Amino acid sequence: MEINTKQDSGITVISPVGRIDTSTAKNFEEGVLKIISNSSSVIISFASIDYISSAGLRVILMTGKKIASNKGHFALTDMPAKIHEVFKMSGFDKILKIYPTFAEAKASFETN
Amino acid sequence: MLLKVKNDIKEIDRVCTEVKNFCCSNNIENDKCFDIVIIVDELATNIIKYAFVDGGDHTFDIVIDKKGEKLHIQLSDDGIPFDPLKRSGPDIDSSLDERAIGGLGIFFAKQLSEQITYERTENKNQLDVFVNLKKEK
Repeated sequence: MEINTKQDSGITVISPVGRIDTSTAKNFEEGVLKIISNSSSVIISFASIDYISSAGLRVILMTGKKIASNKGHFALTDMPAKIHEVFKMSGFDKILKIYPTFAEAKASFETN
Repeated sequence: MLLKVKNDIKEIDRVCTEVKNFCCSNNIENDKCFDIVIIVDELATNIIKYAFVDGGDHTFDIVIDKKGEKLHIQLSDDGIPFDPLKRSGPDIDSSLDERAIGGLGIFFAKQLSEQITYERTENKNQLDVFVNLKKEK
């Protein structure tokens, strides 16, 4: 799957495109693990994601755990309403930081 | 609609597309369609991953039928007897450290549907899922 990345104010911003489901999750996982290997501040933007299943959530959770174990910052932003619903249904909204925009996520990194 | 699905994870993309097309041609609204795709995706993924233990090629059936305001999804496979509904759900209140990875798929299917039942008949696993198509809010 297509995964775009950029650096912004010392934060690695990961922007996957399309669907994160059982058939793309492995590819997404490999891509994300590679990208986060040398970053301690990571934001995943969901602006271009139109579908996520439990397979995708698993990768997000694992990424969050990995970054937390390295005392890094991790946040999710720009979620379409239905994607946000899936996160709420899973309870992940309570254990991961979800912000409407990059600016808000960035501000949270600075205060912590 | 009847879908014949092979026990290959690559089939999931096609299944999702077919379900979406079914929803579109039956005038099911987009948000509901999203939920239905998740239900079918999670349950079909579960069958592909766990039902067939001999490593061979198998096919299972997904039947989707709209009856008025209700959608009936039936998945049947001739894999090993397995009732996914008996699997304990995830602890959605645990912390990031404690949160176990997995168990979410079936939980989603249960949350998004009105009713799911499991039956083992004639050497087949059969899941019947009912989704209410009426707008809730």
